Amino acid sequence: MDLTDEIVINAPRDVVYAALQDPEVLRQCIPGCEELIKHSDTDLEAKVVLKVGPVKARFSGKVTLSPDNPPEAFSLTGEGSGGAAGFAKGGADVHLEDRGEETLLRYTAKVDIGGKLAQLGSRLIQGTAKKLSAQFFASFAETVEETEKA
Amino acid sequence: MKDLTEDQIERAAKLKGMGTSRKRVEDVRFTQGKGNYVDDIKLDGMLFGDFVRSPYAHARVKSINIEEAMKVPGVVAVLTAKDLEPLSLHWMPTLAGDKQMVLADGKVLFQGQEVAFVVASDRYAAADAVELVEVDYEELPVIVNPFEALKSDVVLREDIKDETSGAHGPRNHHNHIFTWTEGNEAATEQAIDSAEVVAEEMVYYHRTHPCPLETCGTVASMDKVTGKLTVWGTFQAPHVVRTVASLLSGIEEHNIRVISPDIGGGFGNKVGVYPGYICAIVASIVTGKPVKWIEDRMDNLMATAFARDYWMKGRISATKDGKITGLHCHVTADHGAFDACADPTKFPAGFFHICTGSYDIPAAFVKVDGVYTNKAPGGVAYRCSFRVTEAAYFIERMIEVLAIELNMDAAELRRINFIRADQFPYQSALGWEYDSGDYHTAWDKALKAVDYEGLRKEQAQRIEDFKAGKTRKLLGIGLTHFTEIVGAGPVKNCDILGMGMFDSCEIRIHPTGSAIARLGTISQGQAHATTFAQILATETGIPADSITIEEGDTDTAPYGLGTYGSRSTPVAGAATALAGRKIRAKAQMIAAYLLEVHDDDVEWDVDRFSVKGAPERFKTMKEIAYAAYNQAIPGLEPGLEAVSYYDPPNMTYPFGAYICVMEVDVDTGQWDIRQFYALDDCGTRINPMVIDGQVHGGVTEALAIAMGQEIAYDDMGNVKTGTLMDFFLPTAWEVPNYTTDHTVTPSPHHPIGAKGVGESPNVGGVPAFSNAVHDAFRAFGLRQSHMPHDHWRIWKIASDLGLHA
Repeated sequence: MDLTDEIVINAPRDVVYAALQDPEVLRQCIPGCEELIKHSDTDLEAKVVLKVGPVKARFSGKVTLSPDNPPEAFSLTGEGSGGAAGFAKGGADVHLEDRGEETLLRYTAKVDIGGKLAQLGSRLIQGTAKKLSAQFFASFAETVEETEKA
Repeated sequence: MKDLTEDQIERAAKLKGMGTSRKRVEDVRFTQGKGNYVDDIKLDGMLFGDFVRSPYAHARVKSINIEEAMKVPGVVAVLTAKDLEPLSLHWMPTLAGDKQMVLADGKVLFQGQEVAFVVASDRYAAADAVELVEVDYEELPVIVNPFEALKSDVVLREDIKDETSGAHGPRNHHNHIFTWTEGNEAATEQAIDSAEVVAEEMVYYHRTHPCPLETCGTVASMDKVTGKLTVWGTFQAPHVVRTVASLLSGIEEHNIRVISPDIGGGFGNKVGVYPGYICAIVASIVTGKPVKWIEDRMDNLMATAFARDYWMKGRISATKDGKITGLHCHVTADHGAFDACADPTKFPAGFFHICTGSYDIPAAFVKVDGVYTNKAPGGVAYRCSFRVTEAAYFIERMIEVLAIELNMDAAELRRINFIRADQFPYQSALGWEYDSGDYHTAWDKALKAVDYEGLRKEQAQRIEDFKAGKTRKLLGIGLTHFTEIVGAGPVKNCDILGMGMFDSCEIRIHPTGSAIARLGTISQGQAHATTFAQILATETGIPADSITIEEGDTDTAPYGLGTYGSRSTPVAGAATALAGRKIRAKAQMIAAYLLEVHDDDVEWDVDRFSVKGAPERFKTMKEIAYAAYNQAIPGLEPGLEAVSYYDPPNMTYPFGAYICVMEVDVDTGQWDIRQFYALDDCGTRINPMVIDGQVHGGVTEALAIAMGQEIAYDDMGNVKTGTLMDFFLPTAWEVPNYTTDHTVTPSPHHPIGAKGVGESPNVGGVPAFSNAVHDAFRAFGLRQSHMPHDHWRIWKIASDLGLHA
């Protein structure tokens, strides 16, 4: 499954970049995120409750950040298991464009889903993923903008 | 033969024998919800089993942790391969000479594969525990394409990776199963090389699934006191299951009782032995309690016997006038992770070599390569008569492609190539002896019934209108004339795991004139209790309503090979008729004794024996039955019963002509069946109403298969169509009215001339629907587009042909 989108955030690029690395910000903004532990600058561990159609599951996963070219671009890869509900793995490339007081955030993500989630929800996954990532970025933008105002 | 008198007609009618549309006796309980299915069985202390299934299509199993699962209240045990290994039951033999894992042994090979078996006091506790079993998987590369499998370094079957030959001969690659050939390769290549016209095409019959209304299941109950194991189950072949259970468990056959109760549809999905059956039996032996296992719909679609998945590369050669000179077919057969095909032992590609169909083809050659992939095991199911659905689809598509190549009408091309009525019994170039047929008569009748010429004129006008922009709907006329092969089969070359494919009937007449007959077959909806009583009514003169037909309990029923491949009427039906004739032969002697004449001085008269020349002196079967228990007849044992085990001399060859008229919307891909005409020739027709029911059901399955139903996998091996949200089952909305018709060409070698009809409608239906779609687009350049023809794929055909411009 491929996802791509972009969003304009009302904050300078280095602020956006820092927020993207902040585990507390991420935990608040990721829909269904119960736990997010940063083991190092590049290794995160997360527990997220995900619902796709009739399948609801708690996913435990690892995410690895690769700051390719801070603060312009970075990528991340991850994999998670939802037990009997299935598994997921994938990665995303994030690109931040400096627009002065604003930042244009663009991302392309590629995710593979397997198990019951894929069987039951295959037609719903694309739509659900789009909705969840839109939710994330809306929350993220709001969080960053509020912190900026303060 | 003399015409019947009015009195005889009246007495025959009372019997409700062969040829009458006797109402189905089964329907009384089915329509009131009072059937007795496996899930209705409730025993004291019964436990429930459920599977932990692999989410991965290919992975190593590093460890299985059952600790948390065992803490769920009510959980009694969690079985893994380690627990089955000491009993040598972690693997089991398949019907195709391969072996299959019962529970994951080191690795998993398809999504949904059974990894562990949870046993608990109720099904909800079992389901909860399934979620808590922790399995550590290490993913391996997935192969879902058979062509890729044959080129890949990835080894799927590590258990046989060094074996260069299998049950059916040499293996040429670690993912290769067998190569099977039939026919004369040199003569066929010669015919094709020297031909005036050759058409070549890849015809794909996609993977689908029988999806019976009732899923698979079992209740296994080991009685530790008597040492007897009783197993109820969704078994299309209960006696074979008993023999296999005995061989695998070491329990002697007389201590195993297998019962197939009411079965809610089989269609080949319930022929083989599944891990669920083995695990339930083991769990019952270990716990000393009855254990029930029933699948849910996703289990059924993901892990049980699928159907088809044959890639058929065809070459057909002909003279420029359309006379076919040769047929070559190379099949790449996708069998999934284990070869669990339910074929007779000597036929790894079933009866695919019926693929010369209804046509007189002098030279033909077939080569089938079986391949392993990361998909569920199986392949032979869904009213296929052992790959006959694939064969019929193949030849009926090749005929259409040849017609395009010759720029000829496809109905005419068929007619000039039909085997003629005077050529029967007909020896096909691929080794079959067709028993009887009259294809020209059936074809002419079918074409006339739908006004074929009128339809072609209408189609020509429609093409003009389309090109002129007056309509966006195309008209397709789908033709099929199929010949199929059923009634497996002669013991000398047909066996299932060594058991010859005979069948049996045992009849006992009671003193007051009614009877019970037990058969080696088992109905899953085919109305045996209704129709086999009709055979006996005609043969013995006892009314069908006075005859109970029983099947499915191996303690009482004579050994039989079960019901699939339309074999019940050709084989068990023959045994029934012959057992009936043995009854009549003894009845004749009893009648002669009672009438005080010689045996030869009495003659049979519908329901009685009368004295030749003095018909007012007679004894009815009722009187004869009583006498059998009441009289001391010199030279005759008391009682009135007979057994027949029938070894058929040949298969039978039903045939038919189906025509589908379809409207196709070029812009939405939507299809609409305007008319569906089905002419079937199944030889002698026992119950016309039941035959109509079989045709309606089979054509509806064909509609599903051709127009949208599939088992689809993505590249990761995820089953994309594992629920009824995505797996197309037609509803009243999609199903048209069917027009059924018939001709009657009896089988010369069958005691009542009957051939069987259960599978014909699926065999003939799929090509009819598919050919209609192809025919709609023929004028715009379409040659071959793979099924299923769902709306998206039809839209794509139109788009690729430039019809959306």
